[in-house]
Amino acid sequence: MKSNQINSKRELALELLKPGDDSKLLTSLNSCVRCGLCADSCMFYKAFKEAKFIPSAKVDLVSSIYRRYYTATGKIAPRLFGAKELDDKMEESMVDLLFGACTMCGRCVKHCSIGVDIPYVVRRGREMLAVMNMVPQSLQSTVDAAINTGNNMAIPEDEFVDTIKWMEEELIDEMGDENARIPLNEFDKEIFYTLNPREPKFFPLSISAIAKVFYAAGESWTLSSKFYDVTNYGFFNGNKVEAAQIAGYLYDEIKHLRGKRLILGECGHGSRAHRWEGPNYLKKTYDFDNITVVELIGEYIRSGRIKLDKSLVKEKHTIHDPCNLVRNGGLMKEIRFVVNSSVSEVIEMSPYGEDNFCCGGGGGALAMSEYNDRRLKIGEIKANQIKATGAKVVITPCHNCVDQLLQINHTYKLGVTIKTIAEVVADSLVISK
Amino acid sequence: MEWFNYLAIFTAAICFTTFLYRLIYLLSLGLPKDLSKETGSVKRGIIYSFTGAMSPMEKESAFLHLPTYAAGMLYHVGIFSSLLFFVWVIVTLFVPITLPSLVSIGLVILLSLSSLAGFSILIKRVISKELRYLSCADDYISNFLTTISQVAAILYILVPGSQVIYFIIMALLFTWMPLGKTRHLLYFFFARIHLGFFYGRRGAWPTVNKS
Ligand code: SF4
Ligand code: SF4
Repeated sequence: MKSNQINSKRELALELLKPGDDSKLLTSLNSCVRCGLCADSCMFYKAFKEAKFIPSAKVDLVSSIYRRYYTATGKIAPRLFGAKELDDKMEESMVDLLFGACTMCGRCVKHCSIGVDIPYVVRRGREMLAVMNMVPQSLQSTVDAAINTGNNMAIPEDEFVDTIKWMEEELIDEMGDENARIPLNEFDKEIFYTLNPREPKFFPLSISAIAKVFYAAGESWTLSSKFYDVTNYGFFNGNKVEAAQIAGYLYDEIKHLRGKRLILGECGHGSRAHRWEGPNYLKKTYDFDNITVVELIGEYIRSGRIKLDKSLVKEKHTIHDPCNLVRNGGLMKEIRFVVNSSVSEVIEMSPYGEDNFCCGGGGGALAMSEYNDRRLKIGEIKANQIKATGAKVVITPCHNCVDQLLQINHTYKLGVTIKTIAEVVADSLVISK
Repeated sequence: MEWFNYLAIFTAAICFTTFLYRLIYLLSLGLPKDLSKETGSVKRGIIYSFTGAMSPMEKESAFLHLPTYAAGMLYHVGIFSSLLFFVWVIVTLFVPITLPSLVSIGLVILLSLSSLAGFSILIKRVISKELRYLSCADDYISNFLTTISQVAAILYILVPGSQVIYFIIMALLFTWMPLGKTRHLLYFFFARIHLGFFYGRRGAWPTVNKS
């Protein structure tokens, strides 16, 4: 009975490798030449120097199964063509390497000699593990919390509302204006804004920072008290049904509140999941604007809706580029435009932009406590990059990255401050009263 | 024509047809359907994918591994030259023409260097612990066959009477090509198209000048 269940789950997993009419899948599973030249582009290999961490080894876990079940050569002569069974041992390696040793940062893709979309294959492998109920429990709990409560930290609605009200009072005090607001559940607003639940839970000041920016811009905006979570860990656990459900929460809420623009708060993967994947998860085009807060602030600066005085922020800053916003999101220039408008001195990491190293906390790694040691070890690469800049402040428009950077700041004794973009923009705001 | 000529032509035809079939199939599938709102340009992304993004300055797989990269480039030039040379050889079975001696000499030099490059890549695969971990028999066979096909072409030019060996090795290569990892000959182009599509529509490619 048990072995029947295992087999039927494996069959479901194997269905996901059936090339069918998916040109990208067919291409990705057939193009790696195992030259190994991607090794040095991956921080897991750089940190541990073990062959199993080479990006191509992760691709091969999935493509070897494809060859075994979907190619004549793999069926006839599996050893000759590196075709492998989907068995217990393979599943164990897949969990360990596809969940535990890939942040899906995509750094290897650009540097691959062929151009294999490695994280795309890794994600397909994660999807296989998801249908076999093999997602690491910690990651699955994060998704479950989002599905069941509307936010991945399961913050009760009244607690969230209390935090927002508290931040609103602070804003009123700081602005000296009774009309300074953090609106909740208001209809027909221009902006429907979203947050990473880490903000109300641990970093409420970043909410007051963006509220200050909206106040200065005279923006018409609202938050939802129930569906404000910009994250989507369904993007990482490989369960597309759950990813679609989470994407649907924001879609339905902006429709319900009749908002005009969905503004994705400072979260790399969340922005990617809602902006680029959301319409595909939900199988519909969005009839509202769907952009990141970095781009919105860029609009404010260009149009003169907010005034910044960068001389107010004098320390030496550096930028950590979130993989999902820069390499996989095309926002490198926009982030620099906003940061350079807000602070006096910016020194780039080496490398940066599309070549930047992941903070180490991507791909759901921050949610998977099973791999904490690995995550902190690979974070040393980022720590060294930061150290080399001599910067006192690291700016990053992603709360996931903030979390990992705070941990490596502590572990590697960097002595830096980590800030989001809204925070540095708020610091340099000139508000005429 | 001798039996070995027929053998090589037959396997080449099967190989060509298989690749052509796969090419038409992949083309018929088109680009992925994506419902998100494009902010960049797919066209520019794809063009960049085949041009700027392939620059050795842009790829760590090239600039961190210059000797391997150079050997790989040379090896691939040799492979394409030896395939073109095979077409030439087949034509000469029907039309009595000979290769100008300067071209023959140039080809021998090129194929000698590319064979050396091919063998060096093979040796690296054998001695490197990491590469052995990644490799299966296909990797060694594909590399070996493509390399000795170039050596065979040199023999064909320089040593009268080596035709049998040449045609048999080419037949082996053509049999293997659609089966082994050598099929990346086709998938490479689609991998680049998909990357261009992915990064282009998000405005991430072409990358901005960082300096
Ligand atoms: S560089 Fe690309 S082709 Fe080479 S082994 Fe890595 S993934 Fe495969
Ligand atoms: S996506 Fe990032 S973490 Fe994953 S294999 Fe590539 S470089 Fe390594």
